[in-house]
Amino acid sequence: MATRNLGRNRVRTALAALGVLIGVFAIASLGIFGNVLALSAEAELGGIGDQVIVTPNQDAGSNALTVRDVDAIARATGSDGTAVALRSDNGLITASGGQTFGQVYATETPGVLFTAAAGTIPDRHRQGAIVGAEIADELSLEVGSAIEVAGARYRVIAVLESEEMISPVSPNNAVVLPESAIGGRTYDQVVVQADSGAAATAIADRVRAQLNAREERVSVFELSSLLETINEFFSLLNRFLLGIAGISLVVAGVSIFNVMLMSTNERKQEIGVLRAVGIHKADVLRVLLAEAALLGVVGGFFGAILAGVAAIGLVFVSPIGFDVVFVASNGLYLLGAFVFGVFICLISGAYPAYKAATLRPVDALRG
Amino acid sequence: MNGTDSPRAVVELARAKDTAIALESVTKQYETGGVTVEALAGVDLAVETGEFLSIIGPSGSGKSTMLNLLGLLDVPTSGTVRLQGRDVTELGDRERTRARKESIGFVFQDFYLLPTLTAVENVTVPTMFDRDRDATNRAVELLSRVGLADRTDHTPNELSGGQKQRVAIARSLINEPRIVLADEPTGNLDQDTGATILEEFRRICDDGVSVIAVTHDELVTEYADRTVELIDGVIDRVG
Repeated sequence: MATRNLGRNRVRTALAALGVLIGVFAIASLGIFGNVLALSAEAELGGIGDQVIVTPNQDAGSNALTVRDVDAIARATGSDGTAVALRSDNGLITASGGQTFGQVYATETPGVLFTAAAGTIPDRHRQGAIVGAEIADELSLEVGSAIEVAGARYRVIAVLESEEMISPVSPNNAVVLPESAIGGRTYDQVVVQADSGAAATAIADRVRAQLNAREERVSVFELSSLLETINEFFSLLNRFLLGIAGISLVVAGVSIFNVMLMSTNERKQEIGVLRAVGIHKADVLRVLLAEAALLGVVGGFFGAILAGVAAIGLVFVSPIGFDVVFVASNGLYLLGAFVFGVFICLISGAYPAYKAATLRPVDALRG
Repeated sequence: MNGTDSPRAVVELARAKDTAIALESVTKQYETGGVTVEALAGVDLAVETGEFLSIIGPSGSGKSTMLNLLGLLDVPTSGTVRLQGRDVTELGDRERTRARKESIGFVFQDFYLLPTLTAVENVTVPTMFDRDRDATNRAVELLSRVGLADRTDHTPNELSGGQKQRVAIARSLINEPRIVLADEPTGNLDQDTGATILEEFRRICDDGVSVIAVTHDELVTEYADRTVELIDGVIDRVG
């Protein structure tokens, strides 16, 4: 019955359904896009948030971190993470496949910061070189190859994974050597790998409090608080996008309201006849609401499908992986937009339906 | 029949068993633009079972109001409406809807068929929301009774005016009512078609159903058992 009534004015019905479709599509796709944006940003920026970089404060005339400083930082870190002291330099790296300039790090415990793609990173790094993915690629190095850094020869014991996240200590173009490879008793920086972003913030606060109590001896660099701000920004952006989409659905709702109002007005006499021949108010109401719901379900369904297709299309036109598109929260946006669409339809169908059903049969018949 | 139609006689008749529907000193007033219009000013009327009554009168005389009251579509300002001896004046919307469905069939001047439905579906409209009841067989039977056996699957725009009105008559009979109310049933039909419709009404009356027709059409009065004329809200003449 409801289907046939909708079939009576196909163009108007199609326009109303199109309105819902666009509204649902807008909500679902903008929601998903925002979500994808936030998720991929999180994936890219995730690394920074967990790290605290402590460097000597050159403005205060300190050029290096002493062993005492490193110990103090390690104590401040406590059980929230692991502090890794690094000496760093730039150097010419030579191998049989050629030579290149690269970052040279010297540390005893590289395993905390880096992950090996081939070979193993020892708990205590005493001999051999660990090379970053780009250098390994450039000089065609693999585990067992020989390289020469600043006049000393090393055997490659591990090749690192290519790191895509933005990180203050980027291993891609670096060679990690044992601590003794770069001379001296001081360190250039301490990288604290914290267990979480919140732990990183806490560690940074403690390092500042303990080492900079009397003078600014070290600069502490941590991005977890910045990351929080970034996340907040993305959730704001997301809500903003949803707001815009919501407006379009409200517009669709108004058009459905109009369609329902016009079609019930047009059929006033018919409704009067239905009431006269003994059909109850509730049944009239039900038919009219079924029409509205049908509009919502059809429009919403195709809107959600279109939004899903658009989200998948996003993978092909932008550097975004399927992993951030096929997540439960995106499905939730689709479902949510669909439900919201049907809901809007019911709401805007309810008043005209109620009005028509409760009209006195006499008035309805009079037209 | 009841030639004098004195109030007392009507009241007695209204309570009698073979009275289909009756109005007892019914008045109806409308408020329009601050002015009270008295559409019916104390009307007594009793319609017997199987009687064909026609109501005539100039426009504005209260004919439609009377039909609405008889059809339980409206409530009187004062007075009593009795349906088969039962006082239905004070019924609520649900009960009145049910009473309409059980006892009263409607035929309108403009037919008011649903354009999306076929003839047989239109006939079953009053039973549309009855669960566990398929009135299709009865609808087909009614359609063949009004001579439309070969038009059951046509939609209203494929039917002529007379055919549409016959579908409407079949629809009014689907619930086996005691009373059929017709508002200008021949108003949109030519003379010959109108005559076939009126013959249809006569046959309905022979089956024990009362037919009350509001009309301008002289032809209707020829077929009716009794004609009352309404002028300015009162029954003026009984023919």
